[in-house]
Amino acid sequence: MGAAKDIVEYSGVPRFLFSDFPLGNSCGKPHEPDTQRFTLDLALKVFESAIGPRTTVQSPLRWTEDGDWKNDYNNIARMPPEEVAKRRAEFDKVKQVALSQRKQAGVA
Amino acid sequence: MTDTMNFAPDFDVPLEYMRRTREYYLALGYDNPYRWAHYVDAPFQPLKKPLKDSTLALITTAAPYQPDKGDQGPGALYNAGAKFYAVFSGDTAVDHDTRISHIGYDRKHTTAKDSNTWFPLPLMREFAAEGRFNLAPRFHGAPTNRSQRVTLETDAPEILARCRQDQVDAALLVPT
Repeated sequence: MGAAKDIVEYSGVPRFLFSDFPLGNSCGKPHEPDTQRFTLDLALKVFESAIGPRTTVQSPLRWTEDGDWKNDYNNIARMPPEEVAKRRAEFDKVKQVALSQRKQAGVA
Repeated sequence: MTDTMNFAPDFDVPLEYMRRTREYYLALGYDNPYRWAHYVDAPFQPLKKPLKDSTLALITTAAPYQPDKGDQGPGALYNAGAKFYAVFSGDTAVDHDTRISHIGYDRKHTTAKDSNTWFPLPLMREFAAEGRFNLAPRFHGAPTNRSQRVTLETDAPEILARCRQDQVDAALLVPT
């Protein structure tokens, strides 16, 4: 169960239930148990019925009617230059933290 | 002339995360693009017995909440300090507090307030109680530590070994 269709299919998996939702919602919508139940149920049906590898089924559920959230994710065209500069500074910091942690854990 | 008035807008397709991410980091000044895992072949095993008689394990990229590792949300900024570096397993009979602050989820359109959207263990327990499948005694946490070598050579074999110990027939992977 996932929300990044291109990345999962690029890797290649046996069976994939794709939800066209913002990352973080592979299992349904927040605080909407009906959508979560629907999603897991569909995933199990895909699991049982797939006849070969790379079977992708797309959930019919929609995040929003207009789908405009897709235009926001890491979209440079929607970011002013100062936001880009701020993000670069944040990312440099994050990379340092991750590197020192990997070293500490012995996996760097 | 064909009437296209009722077609969906061109942008309304599954988001191209790889392209968007490449362009994003290039604009930030990083010209060393990430290489995503990529295989020509994908494995496939048909079910050996009906799902209701199969044991299913949950594999997650969510992290256990670690109070000493900074803000882990809901709504926390990306927190690389909350990553974990070894496979962890948990008892599926009880609830667990898992978070995704260590992962690049969509922070603009999601608040990460409802863990059921990335960690479906409670619902899997319900489904198992309804007889849909047998729930494995443990779930497993897969580290997302930016080393594909460690994922392939250390973490994945460890998860497989633990699934085999539990006589698991199938795994449900939920990446965030």
